[in-house]
Amino acid sequence: MIWVWILLAPLLGGLVYGGERVLRARMQRRQGPPFLQPFYDMFKLMDKRSLIVHAPHALLAVGHFFLLWVSVAAIFLGWNLLYIIFLHLFAQVVLILAGYSVRSVYSHLGANRELLALVAYEPILILVSVGFYLVSGSFEIGRILEGEGYLAQMPLLFAALLIIVPIKVKKSPFDVTEAHQEIVGGVEIEYSGVFYEFLYMARFLEYLFIYSFIFLFGGISYGVGAVLVAATFLLVNLVDNATARVRTGDMVKIVYGVAMSLAVINIVGILR
Amino acid sequence: MKFFTPFRKKSPWILHYNAGSCNGCDIEILAALGPKFDLERFGAINTGNPKQSDIFLVTGPVTYRSRERLVELYTQIPEPKVVVAVGSCTDTGGVFRGMLNVEDGIDRYIPVDVYIPGCAASPQLIIDGLVKALEILETKSKAIEKPFKLFGAVQMIGTKLSRLNMAQRVRHDEN
Ligand code: SF4
Repeated sequence: MIWVWILLAPLLGGLVYGGERVLRARMQRRQGPPFLQPFYDMFKLMDKRSLIVHAPHALLAVGHFFLLWVSVAAIFLGWNLLYIIFLHLFAQVVLILAGYSVRSVYSHLGANRELLALVAYEPILILVSVGFYLVSGSFEIGRILEGEGYLAQMPLLFAALLIIVPIKVKKSPFDVTEAHQEIVGGVEIEYSGVFYEFLYMARFLEYLFIYSFIFLFGGISYGVGAVLVAATFLLVNLVDNATARVRTGDMVKIVYGVAMSLAVINIVGILR
Repeated sequence: MKFFTPFRKKSPWILHYNAGSCNGCDIEILAALGPKFDLERFGAINTGNPKQSDIFLVTGPVTYRSRERLVELYTQIPEPKVVVAVGSCTDTGGVFRGMLNVEDGIDRYIPVDVYIPGCAASPQLIIDGLVKALEILETKSKAIEKPFKLFGAVQMIGTKLSRLNMAQRVRHDEN
């Protein structure tokens, strides 16, 4: 049964992304695209001629997608949180290598920013999982989901996680890695056709990845987890519609200054 | 593949290029993409990246400065693709016709599928033109489409040489 869900993970993420596009349109009082729009885009991209810069560049995108898929599968299977974070890190590193492997200035800029974003949010993810360990006594997702009371014991860690969610799902104010108006998508710029489709689907998996961290805060009561995910989803989109993009350096400063101190204060509080 | 062809119509991604227009039509295009006329309900996105676009929306008569870039952008869009000329000056030269620093319309350089009249073309007309372009997009094949050869041999060599120079000037370790 769980394997079926793992196989369907990109489709599930696609539904989330489609719903999000409709929601954002409604927030701006527009009608918005159809709910299944991401799938139409995917099918259309299958039908395009693909221009390949060089083979490793194209393959790295495929590798990025499959590594992300493995890390999402590991979440579904209830593995160790640290493994999952490092698998995800590996997937990001592959993407960054892809960005540096072509001679396009925008692609290099995108890869630089991707690297900085990685440096910013990775410590927070690790601190959050350390928090889970301190409260539940295990890094295993299966064990974490049997405990409860995470939100009461780690409210500041939850706030820190909320700050980095926009970086992962590429939303304002922290969408510097994509930044369509400045660097035209960054790392994605040199991809076309089927290979762009892998990056497009990788984005769906990122949604599942980061929102499942939010879900963990519900613990044994899955209902609370679902409510938290829905509330975060609304909040992130509201903030996305209401704010402008900050600069890359400022993003790192905000994440290190605010999110990191929140996380450390909370962990110290749990330890005492 | 036959199965995927109907989906072309459902997700047109737009590349918008200003080949020296007065900005009137650009504002109308942005109005068509904005909340009031909401082109996104057809699934359209303004990508800004030729390699991921299907529809090439061009405004402006081609100035001498912009014609190379126009052809360059056109060749970078992967097939199937359609070109939509927005505004009178893009179709025929319009108010700029006969001026010494412009060409009269983009169809000297690239094949155009849909001409949208009006100075400035209204958002309603632009949406109509796009819907028409989508019908054409569905009938196209994936065969390579080329821009017309209008640059003389001397100019071609000049362009090539200037490219060589560019490739040396852009240093990749300094960005
Ligand atoms: S058609 Fe008229 S309004 Fe549109 S770009 Fe040309 S001159 Fe400007």
